[in-house]
Amino acid sequence: MKKIALVGAIAGIGLIVACQPAAQKAEAQKPKKELSKYEKFKIAFYQNQDKWQKYCSNEAQLVPQGISVEEFKKAMLATIKFPPGGKVMGDWKKGEKLFGDPKKGGKSRRGNCYACHCGDPQIIACGNIGPSLRGYGKKGVDPKQTYMRIYNSWAFVPCSAMPRLGYWGVLKPEEIADIVAFLHSPESPINK
Amino acid sequence: MKKRTFLALGVFAGGAVLGTLAIAKEQLPEHLRELLELGMHPGHVFVDEGRDYYHNLKGPNGKTCATCHGQDGSKLVGAYAKMPRYYKDIDKVADIDLRILSCMTKYMGFDPKDKKFKKKYLKTYRIPLSTYVASLSNGMKINVKIEHPKEKEMYELGKKVWFTRAGAREFSCAMCHTVLAGKRIRLQGLPNPVRDKSYNHWPAYRFGSDRMWTMEDRVRSCFKAYFLFTKRWDEKKDWVKKPPPFVKEVIAVELYMKHASNGGVIEVPGLLR
Repeated sequence: MKKIALVGAIAGIGLIVACQPAAQKAEAQKPKKELSKYEKFKIAFYQNQDKWQKYCSNEAQLVPQGISVEEFKKAMLATIKFPPGGKVMGDWKKGEKLFGDPKKGGKSRRGNCYACHCGDPQIIACGNIGPSLRGYGKKGVDPKQTYMRIYNSWAFVPCSAMPRLGYWGVLKPEEIADIVAFLHSPESPINK
Repeated sequence: MKKRTFLALGVFAGGAVLGTLAIAKEQLPEHLRELLELGMHPGHVFVDEGRDYYHNLKGPNGKTCATCHGQDGSKLVGAYAKMPRYYKDIDKVADIDLRILSCMTKYMGFDPKDKKFKKKYLKTYRIPLSTYVASLSNGMKINVKIEHPKEKEMYELGKKVWFTRAGAREFSCAMCHTVLAGKRIRLQGLPNPVRDKSYNHWPAYRFGSDRMWTMEDRVRSCFKAYFLFTKRWDEKKDWVKKPPPFVKEVIAVELYMKHASNGGVIEVPGLLR
């Protein structure tokens, strides 16, 4: 009986000792995990603003004096990554969905090109902030150039209204390739 | 006889189709004016509801809004024209939503830490009461002054936030509402609230989404479209959809816009798409 009690006591102590560091760890991790909504907002609004956005945050919303536009473009060009195999044309049907008309299955807001650009002539609910993209494939633009413009538009027009969709990871390289295919492919409704 | 009735039916149906087409084609302002002439403004329901709360909603200590501010809001006439401004008793710059909340917790006896009350305030009392109090200043000119140091600080912050570009969409308030104002996002025109003094019709009823909004809701929902994120942008995990209510960034932007609208004549509740 005594032996069993002894073994039990040792096991109990062992358990307590084993559990303690785990409990301490949990306590140490807790304050990190529980960010309030306002703290999250502040991180997102202040800390996550990158250097280039800071340059553009002026009253004209353009590149300020004292910052070289050429260097700005160079730095932005260096961030562009291509999909595996360097294939800049993907599946145009997937691209049509990313272009963002709800009638064509574009539920996600990630691409949302129609907010600023016109594309498929059948769709009239399109914005006029960016240039119209109707018949884009017939204009003789290099698809690689189109890919780079979508991935990081600020490599061509710094501080432009167009978001850097690939730079922030809103669209993956393969998804951008799908959009490029939608713009360039002769079968796509944009070029018909 | 039968042929004639068919003909009449056909003409009637054709007329109906043409009629609906005509309505669809008509520009919105005309449509709104007709609604107003008929006295069918949906926002007025909120004014009436707010008036009801103002006189009948009792706090735990038995006071109503009317106890201090007078029957039919007689002492609140013109108060909305000066908001947001610095208030001594709460030591904060407050907009109308925050001012009413602090009144309720400070003078009517509601517990500020009571989560149930806060939820109830945000969902039920806030919009009708704000709309009612704002509507008391109808016909007066917006007159926001920036005198107190805290007001100056907030104004500077508001201006900074207005031009700050952040998030995965590279947006700032100014990008859409100053630089690109007059253009369209899809079919929605972009107004210029700083130049056009268009603060005067807020709080407004938006029949596109069928709800009444105060300026606080409007600004917070704009932040939703910024695509702000806590880590690397990820739609499911890291997207910060809205700042919480009554944070200083939101009130600062309201102050900046309303100061720009000084001189505009208040017409509340507004009616928007």
